[in-house]
Amino acid sequence: MEFLNEQLEDIVRCMKCGNCMSACPVFAVTGREAMLARGRIQLLKAVMNGRLELTDGLRDVLFTCLNCDACSLSCPPGIRVDELMRAAKVELLRLGKPLPEAQERIRCGIERQSNPFDQPKGERGAWLPPELRQPKPAKYLLHAGCSISYASNRIGKAVIRILQKAGVDFTMMGDEELCCGDPYVRMGDLEKAEALRAMNKAAFRKYGVETVVTPCAGCYNAFKHSYGDSVKPMHIVQLFAELIEGGRLQFEKPFGKKVVYFDGCDIGRHSGCYDEPRQVLSSIPGLELAEMPSNRENAACCGGPLLGSHPDLARRIAAERVREAQARGAEVIAVACPTCLLNLKEGAQSAGIRMDIQDVTTIALRAAG
Amino acid sequence: MPASKSSVEVLEKIKKLVGQDDYLDSYEDRLCYSYDSTIEEAIPDAICFPGTPEEIAQILKWANEYRLPVIPRGSGTGLSGGSVPVRGGLVMVLSRLNRILEVNEEDFYAVLEPGVITQTLSDEIARRGLMYPPDPSSMKSSTMGGNVAENAGGLRGLKYGVTKDYIMGLEVVTPTGDIVQTGTRTVKTATGYNLTQLFVGSEGTLGVITKITVKLIPAPEHKESVLAIFADMGQAAQTVADIIKAGVVPATMEFLDHTTINAVEDYMPTGLPRQAGAILLIETDGVREAAVKEIGRVEEICRKNQAMKVQKAKDEAEREAIWTARRSALSALARVRPTTILEDATVPRSRVPDMVRGVREIAEKYSIPIGNFGHAGDGNLHPTILTDERDREEFARVEKAIEEIFDLALRLGGTISGEHGIGSTKARFMEREVGPSGVAAMKRIKDALDPNGILNPGKMFVEGGGHL
Repeated sequence: MEFLNEQLEDIVRCMKCGNCMSACPVFAVTGREAMLARGRIQLLKAVMNGRLELTDGLRDVLFTCLNCDACSLSCPPGIRVDELMRAAKVELLRLGKPLPEAQERIRCGIERQSNPFDQPKGERGAWLPPELRQPKPAKYLLHAGCSISYASNRIGKAVIRILQKAGVDFTMMGDEELCCGDPYVRMGDLEKAEALRAMNKAAFRKYGVETVVTPCAGCYNAFKHSYGDSVKPMHIVQLFAELIEGGRLQFEKPFGKKVVYFDGCDIGRHSGCYDEPRQVLSSIPGLELAEMPSNRENAACCGGPLLGSHPDLARRIAAERVREAQARGAEVIAVACPTCLLNLKEGAQSAGIRMDIQDVTTIALRAAG
Repeated sequence: MPASKSSVEVLEKIKKLVGQDDYLDSYEDRLCYSYDSTIEEAIPDAICFPGTPEEIAQILKWANEYRLPVIPRGSGTGLSGGSVPVRGGLVMVLSRLNRILEVNEEDFYAVLEPGVITQTLSDEIARRGLMYPPDPSSMKSSTMGGNVAENAGGLRGLKYGVTKDYIMGLEVVTPTGDIVQTGTRTVKTATGYNLTQLFVGSEGTLGVITKITVKLIPAPEHKESVLAIFADMGQAAQTVADIIKAGVVPATMEFLDHTTINAVEDYMPTGLPRQAGAILLIETDGVREAAVKEIGRVEEICRKNQAMKVQKAKDEAEREAIWTARRSALSALARVRPTTILEDATVPRSRVPDMVRGVREIAEKYSIPIGNFGHAGDGNLHPTILTDERDREEFARVEKAIEEIFDLALRLGGTISGEHGIGSTKARFMEREVGPSGVAAMKRIKDALDPNGILNPGKMFVEGGGHL
C-alpha cells in the first residue's frame, strides 16, 4: 500500500530517543506513549511495515495531536512532526478512512454554512455595524474569522472601534465572509481547503484587497502559509504596532495589572510573530508585562485545538498553562487568538483558578479610552 | 505472544486492581510500548500504570502465580533494551509514582518516587542551592527510577561520580512481591548486606524500585568553561591526561572527534574548524577562586599541548554557546543518516587515544561512518554509528563493527558499557567481560530473588538473544 511515501525518510529517522516527551503538552497530562510524537511516528512506521492497518485506533491517535509542533524543536534528527501528522491525515482521507465524528461535523459545517460551527451562514455578519456588513473596494480587508464572528464578537468589535478611531480605511466581507480553510487542512482535506481558498482569493481580487488583517491567529497562519502571494497577511497586533509607531493609536487610560502574554502556536511558533503583541502591550501605561516560563518559540500550547473533540483533555492542558501564568504572578493572561482565549478560560474554570484572560485587542481598546 | 487462558485471567485481575483508566491493551497501545531508544522491539500483552507500591506488590505476586512476565518501565528512553518486553507480558509503567516526597536541606538528602523526571528533581534541588550531580543527557525525559535501574552516568561523572554514588537508600518491591527498605538517610551505614548497591544498576531484573533516597551536595558557587581545538586527537588526549596529573579534576571534560565536528558544523555552523582532529570542552566548578585558578591551569595545559585555539567563556552567554556544541553533537550526527546507533564502550582514561584510533580503524574496515564523542575525562566514549537499518547488507557490517568495538574496549582494559547497561542488547557479550563465573554468580542472585524468572526476563543473561 502506498502510504506516506514522501515522508518515509522522516519516519525512519525517529531514534525513539523520547526527547519529544519534554515538549508535548498532551503527553504531559496523559502520560500515554500514543499521545506523543514518538508513539505516533512509530505507529505510522508500523503501518508502513505492514504491521498495522489503518485502524480507528490509529486515526484517533493522530487526531489527539495538537499540531503545535513543539516536539520538532526538541527532535535531534529534526523531524518536522507537524508536517508529518498533517500528511498522515491527508493520506487517511485519500485512502477512504472516515473522519472522526467531531471532524466530520466540522467538515459538514463548513460545507453547509461556511463555518466549522455549523451556524447559519446568513447570521455571520449579524454582530457587525450595518456599514460593515457588505464589502466595498479597499486595500485593507479585516477578516474576522469564524470564531470571532460566531463566538467571540467582543474581539471583533474592539478591533473595529480601534481601526475606526485610528482612521484606517478598511472593508469587511461581512455576511459574505467565508472560512479561511484552515480546519479543512487540519483534518487532511486539502481539496476542499483549496476550493475555499480559491473563493476567498477571488473575493480579494474583486475588491482590490492588498492586505488581509485578522485578529484570528488561525486565519493569520492560513493566510500567511497557504495563500501564496495573493495578499499580504497581517495579524491585527502587527497593524496595531504599526499604528502605535505612527502615532495613530495612543493609549490614554492605564491598565495597571501584571499581564503575561501567551504565545499561541498559530501566531507564534508557526508564524514567527512574537514582538508585535509585546510591543502593543508594553505601550500601555501601567501595564507590567511578564513572561510564561516557556515563551516565544518554546511556548507550550494551550490545548485549544482539542476543545471540540477532546474537551476534557483540552481543559486539563489549559489548566496547566493557567497555573504556570499564576506562578509568575500574572493577574491577566493576554492572548492573540480566539481559540486560546476560549480554551484558557475553560481551563481556568475547570481547575477552579481565578484568572482574567483577555485578548490583546480588548485590553488595547480599554487603554485607548 | 498469544495470550493464554491463564494470562487472560491474570490480566483481568490486574486491570481490575489498577482500574481501567490505568490499563491499556489495544493493539495500537501495545505497539507504542514495544520499544525503547534502541532498535530492539517486542510487543507486550498489556500495559498498566500502578498507583502504589502495594498495587505493584500484588501484581508481582500474581505474576509469580501465573508466570506472567512483568517489565518495569520509566520513560522508555533506555539505550540497552531494558524496558522492551522481549518475552511479552505486562509492561508496568511507573509514571504515576512521581512525587518528590521530601527535600532535607539540613541533612542533604531527598526522598522521591521513581517516576520523577530527573530534570524535575535537579531543578527542585537547585532552587534550594543544592545539587544532584548525575546529569545523563536524557534527563529531560528519563525518570529517576530508570536512572537508578541503569546506573545512569552523565557529563559530570569524573568529578562527581554517577547515579550509584548518590543513592543512599531504596524501597524495592522484590520479584516475589515483598516490599523491602534498603539503605539509610545517614551519611554512613554498616548494617547488613549493601542491598542498595545491588539494586542500583540491576536493570529492573531484581526488583521494582518504588522509592529513592538521594544524596545531595552543595551547589558549586561558580563555573568556568573552556573550548580548546586540536589538530590531532592525540594532543587532546594528552591534554586530558596532563590536566588530571596537574591535580585538576574538572566537573566536565568532553570531546568531539573529527567526524562529529564536521557533523556539528553541517547542522549548526558556529565556526568550528572542519580540519580539526578533536575539540575539548572543559568546565571547572566550585569556590570562585578555585574554579578560576583551575581553568587557568587548564588553559595553560591546552596551549602546552599545541591547541590551535583556546577560548575561555567570558560570561554566561558564552558558556552556553560553548556547551551548545556538545549538546548538539548527537542531533548533528543523527541528521547524517537515517539510523543512528549510540554505543557506550568505555576504557581507562589513558587508553582513550587508542580507543579513538581503534574505532576509526573499525569504521574504515567496515566502510561505515562512526562519529566519536563523549566523556574524555572518564574514558566513556560514545562511538555513534551512522547507518540505515533498511540496508540489510550494511547492517550486517554494522553488527560486526559493534562487536569489534566491544572487543577493542575489553582488550584495552575497559568495559562494554560505561553507562547504558546490558539489557537485552549486550547480554551475549557480558561473559566476555566478567567471565563464566561472573555470570554464574550474578545468575544465582537473580534466581534467589526471582525464582520463577518473571521480572524482566530476557535481560542480562540471554543466550545469544537480542540485536545489538
